[in-house]
Amino acid sequence: MDTLAPAPTPQPPAASVPAVSAPAILPAPAGEILIDIDQVDFFYGASQALHNISLQIQEKKVTAFIGPSGCGKSTLLRCLNRMNDLIDGTRVAKGSIKIRGIDIHRPDVDVIELRKRVGMVFQKSNPFPKSIYENITYGLKLQGVRNQARLDEVVESSLRGAALWDEVKDRLHTSGLGLSGGQQQRLCIARAIAVEPEVILMDEPCSALDPVATAKVEELIQTLRARYTIVIVTHNMQQAARCSDKTAFFYMGKLIEYADTRNIFMNPANPQTEAYVSGRFG
Amino acid sequence: MASSAPADETHFIAHKGHFRLFGLTLDDCIKVFFGGNAVISIIVLALITYFLFREGAGFFGDNRRNLEVYRQAGLEYVDFIRAQQDDHAALTRYLSDLRVRQVKFYTQEKKLSLAEANAAVAGFDEFAGQYGDAVDPIRSLVSDLTEQATAIKEKFNVMEDKKTERDQLVAAGQPAAAAKVVVVPVDFVAELKPILGTLPAYRDASADFAKRLAEVVSAAPAMPSLALQDRLERFRQLNAEYLAGFPAVLRNLETWDFRKPVPAAQAFMSFLFGREWLTASFWQDWYGVVPLLVGSIMVSLVALVLAVPLGVGAAIYVNQIASPIEQKFIKPCIEFISAIPSVVLGFFGIAVLGQALRALSQVKALSWVPGFPYSERLNILTAGCLLALIAVPTIFTLAEDALNNVPRSFKEASFALGATRLQTVIRIIVPASLSGIISAVLLGLGRVIGETMVVLLCAGNRIAIPDFTAGLAVITQPVHTMTGIIAQEMGEVVHGSIHYRALFVVGMLLFFLSLAINYAAQRIVRRYRIAIG
Repeated sequence: MDTLAPAPTPQPPAASVPAVSAPAILPAPAGEILIDIDQVDFFYGASQALHNISLQIQEKKVTAFIGPSGCGKSTLLRCLNRMNDLIDGTRVAKGSIKIRGIDIHRPDVDVIELRKRVGMVFQKSNPFPKSIYENITYGLKLQGVRNQARLDEVVESSLRGAALWDEVKDRLHTSGLGLSGGQQQRLCIARAIAVEPEVILMDEPCSALDPVATAKVEELIQTLRARYTIVIVTHNMQQAARCSDKTAFFYMGKLIEYADTRNIFMNPANPQTEAYVSGRFG
Repeated sequence: MASSAPADETHFIAHKGHFRLFGLTLDDCIKVFFGGNAVISIIVLALITYFLFREGAGFFGDNRRNLEVYRQAGLEYVDFIRAQQDDHAALTRYLSDLRVRQVKFYTQEKKLSLAEANAAVAGFDEFAGQYGDAVDPIRSLVSDLTEQATAIKEKFNVMEDKKTERDQLVAAGQPAAAAKVVVVPVDFVAELKPILGTLPAYRDASADFAKRLAEVVSAAPAMPSLALQDRLERFRQLNAEYLAGFPAVLRNLETWDFRKPVPAAQAFMSFLFGREWLTASFWQDWYGVVPLLVGSIMVSLVALVLAVPLGVGAAIYVNQIASPIEQKFIKPCIEFISAIPSVVLGFFGIAVLGQALRALSQVKALSWVPGFPYSERLNILTAGCLLALIAVPTIFTLAEDALNNVPRSFKEASFALGATRLQTVIRIIVPASLSGIISAVLLGLGRVIGETMVVLLCAGNRIAIPDFTAGLAVITQPVHTMTGIIAQEMGEVVHGSIHYRALFVVGMLLFFLSLAINYAAQRIVRRYRIAIG
């Protein structure tokens, strides 16, 4: 199977230190287009959830998807790492989604490889019923990393990256389910960045958290943007305004407006957008 | 407001609970109906337990008396000598086996004809014959003693019967008739005298016997091959051990005292650890549950070994991998198996499976499988295969439930980290539902251990501990089971007899086993719920 890697430099399969150490992220100036969504129609069985969506997501920026419930923003997000494949009867009927110019629905694209590159954090924190350490190393172990020193190193760097290290460093081998809600969510983020993805998809990551935990996660998003391209779905417009660079507003499965966050909130071009961001419906 | 309230109130009261039955409103009736149903099931359970225990509890007293008679009538004394005779018979069998091996050696390795081979082992035959005949004096002694001891026991039984008869007459209010019943007390001291009197004769016979055996064995002919010579050496060793046991037998006989009481614990121990279940015998009845327990456990183990991979594997497939159409087909199919009456499965086992497995075992290419080929159609393997079929629906359904309870988010998280379906199942789904799966297996075990019809029809019903020295081949031997024996013998026993009570105690044991298994399963499930959170 072909991978998504655009470069013709396949890594030696015998390496005990795969993808993580190698620069999975090709040096590209911030702002370059990483994900190109082109005229996508998406169906759940017979009902159409997305109508002709076209949208370009820039590298190392935070892109927020906003819109009322059922507007298709989560659906689009889950299209980006093909998580919708897990739901029976779903299909992308038209259009293409390209990551670094490669259509992710091409038959020779390995979906497993895609998901390693496009990590995901879910609405409800979902650490595995394993220890914190095992939660972080899960993705690496799937890739065959067995080197203990390397695993230790990644656990520390991921937890530091998720601003969780100081809180859990003394109990790495206790269950991840024993953490508080906000800590669990940051553990899930640490788990996602442990496999060094290029893109992190966040599906309403703060909707189940209290304001303090939410603030911590938002702060974390600000630090992560230096290294990762982040796409975040949120119901909370202040959150979108605070932490995103670009914002896309969806309504009834259609992309209404996509622009710099500042413009969406201060100077929306579309009256529907204005109505939504000013709280008149939604 | 306040002024209109009284009128409304009377209005309510007048119409509330129109319907009355024994002074109860409809609501109360419904409550009593449902509550009653719940209470009835508890009462029935309590009654079952009570009767099981009431009928079974008497066994231990009866068994103690049984063991006392065994001792007082001298049966125990005779059995010391009989054991010696039986051990000798075992050694004789070893020699016949050795003869078969020699003939095989001559015919197959040396390419001799059967007649020539027989001629070649003539010297051995003479040796084996001498070895076998040496026991004759002991044997005749045992047979005399057996008659005498049986006679004493018979007298004792007659006395007991008469006593019972008298007691019954007294209870029926016929003291005159009761007085006419003659109870001849058994004078054990006098009765046992002739038996104990044979001790000097035994001492001489035993010494002669030992000398004779030593003589015969020292003159054993040499074996034609090294392997066979090894076997002969092994025989010499066994024989030496056998002879070394003689003084102990003599000591047992000398110190034997029929007045020595039987401890109460022995009545219990001889049941729980007794290696023989022998009923309606002319000599002595034994109620040892071990052969039945071992039979039940072996059959259940074989069933589990087959049913766990099948049931759990099918559950994983249906729950995680199968398409909705496959799910709709597979689930009802597996669940339908549990709807087949077990007696029908038993038929199938006798008529088809037993036959087919035996035919399979006789295929040359499969002779490497332990226990193959075998000729006994009904055995542990046949019964185990069928019981597996009975356990699969239970294990499948419960394991599938357990898998279903794993939150979908675990699966999504795993996929999002780039796991394949197989990795997700093995590393996340199965560990997260492991306790549920274990309890499913335990409940399957409970189902299998209590199953009666299939084992009664297909396990072979030989009451003996299977020969574990055969290794894995043990599963091709017939056994009897606890459930099977109850079903088979309960219809024939005299109500209230020791045998009847023994069957109840077997039932109690089964009851406790099932209870323990179910309790363990529930405990595990409870822990699992907490772990998932």
